[in-house]
Amino acid sequence: MASVLLTIFLILLTILIIYIIIIFNSLISLKNNISKSWSNIDVLLKQRSEEIPNLVETVKGYMKHEKSLLLEITKERTSLINSSSLSEKAKVDNAISSSLKTIFAVSEKYPKLRANENFLKLQNRITGLENELSDRREFYNDSVTIYNTRIQSFPDLFIAKVFNFNAKELFRVLEEERKVVKTNI
Amino acid sequence: MVNVIWPIIWGITGLFITYTGFYQLKIKRLIENTPTSKIRSIAMGLVEIFGEVIPFNKEIIKSPFTNTNCVFYSYTIEEYRSSGKNRKWILIKKDTSNNKFYLKDETGQVLIDPNKAHIDLNKTYQTESEKDTSENIKQFLKEKNISLENFLGVNKRLKFTEYILKQKDKLYILGTAADNPLVEEESSVENSNDIMIQRGDFNSVYYISSKHETEVIKKYKREAIILLCIGIILTFISLFFFSR
Repeated sequence: MASVLLTIFLILLTILIIYIIIIFNSLISLKNNISKSWSNIDVLLKQRSEEIPNLVETVKGYMKHEKSLLLEITKERTSLINSSSLSEKAKVDNAISSSLKTIFAVSEKYPKLRANENFLKLQNRITGLENELSDRREFYNDSVTIYNTRIQSFPDLFIAKVFNFNAKELFRVLEEERKVVKTNI
Repeated sequence: MVNVIWPIIWGITGLFITYTGFYQLKIKRLIENTPTSKIRSIAMGLVEIFGEVIPFNKEIIKSPFTNTNCVFYSYTIEEYRSSGKNRKWILIKKDTSNNKFYLKDETGQVLIDPNKAHIDLNKTYQTESEKDTSENIKQFLKEKNISLENFLGVNKRLKFTEYILKQKDKLYILGTAADNPLVEEESSVENSNDIMIQRGDFNSVYYISSKHETEVIKKYKREAIILLCIGIILTFISLFFFSR
């Protein structure tokens, strides 16, 4: 009888260990999802950064009265390249999005620029990247929310405490920045 | 010796069912843990998407039993067999059309290759050979070399089930986003055109369902609980008899 009870105990213990392993692996995969979704944002940030010098080069001949604006976006691009933390990148990303919107809005005052095919192509490309960025920011925040909810809910809470899984920061974007950049093509 | 064989069989079956239960639990958590992607900004790797079906190259096909216009179909043919007290439906044929199609959401569309996917569609048609064997079914059986009679010339009892996907049907997909082999790399303007959803080399999970995500999660949860209970009980019973 004692051996039966011992075997039952061992089986229950094995089931519990397997369950803990599943929870642990699931938390690890959530953590990796967050890193991956951040990398996916970073890729687009880099692609957008690469387009900025082309944009400045294209518009500078037309927008002679907007030198400060062009200087500002060039500085922001440099800051984005040099920033490493999530909050820093989020802040600079907001600033770049805002400057790009201003450039595209101001371009309305320059009909010759609006007729430039290269500019229209760049505007289209950057708008596409901005839209993808907004989707990926949303995806990143969804990944973080799922992870944060998991580590605060039963039974994952215990595993998270034991193995030191800490809450992650959301990619905060100003409400104004959430709006899609509109093109007039 | 005979007394030991059954507990061993129950034990192995119990452990296998418990393992399957844990696997279902793992899939349930994977679905819960994967946020839904917008098709426009899909990234490579395991993705979850939701949208409506659009035919690939306007390709509309006919379903095998009802001849309905559709984008994709799957079917099963089962035979009723009885031996002594045992009576059950045995699966004798199962197949899918495997046609590629697009899934579209409010941001874009992406190509889906349903090959090797676990497909869970709502049943659209079911009939038995005793009730009705339409000309379509007879023609289909002839093409597939399946006879309606057994070797004694007696009519078999067959059950035909059809599952179809029509244009604009809603679908939930958990699969791997990888390069679209039909498009030259980076040749398209939209990111999603370069991508095809398929069964991944590293992610074995590829699930296509006409159910909503919450229903899929409930289904996996229900299956995991049932399998774990049966598996654990069977293992305990086996141990109990083994120890006697």
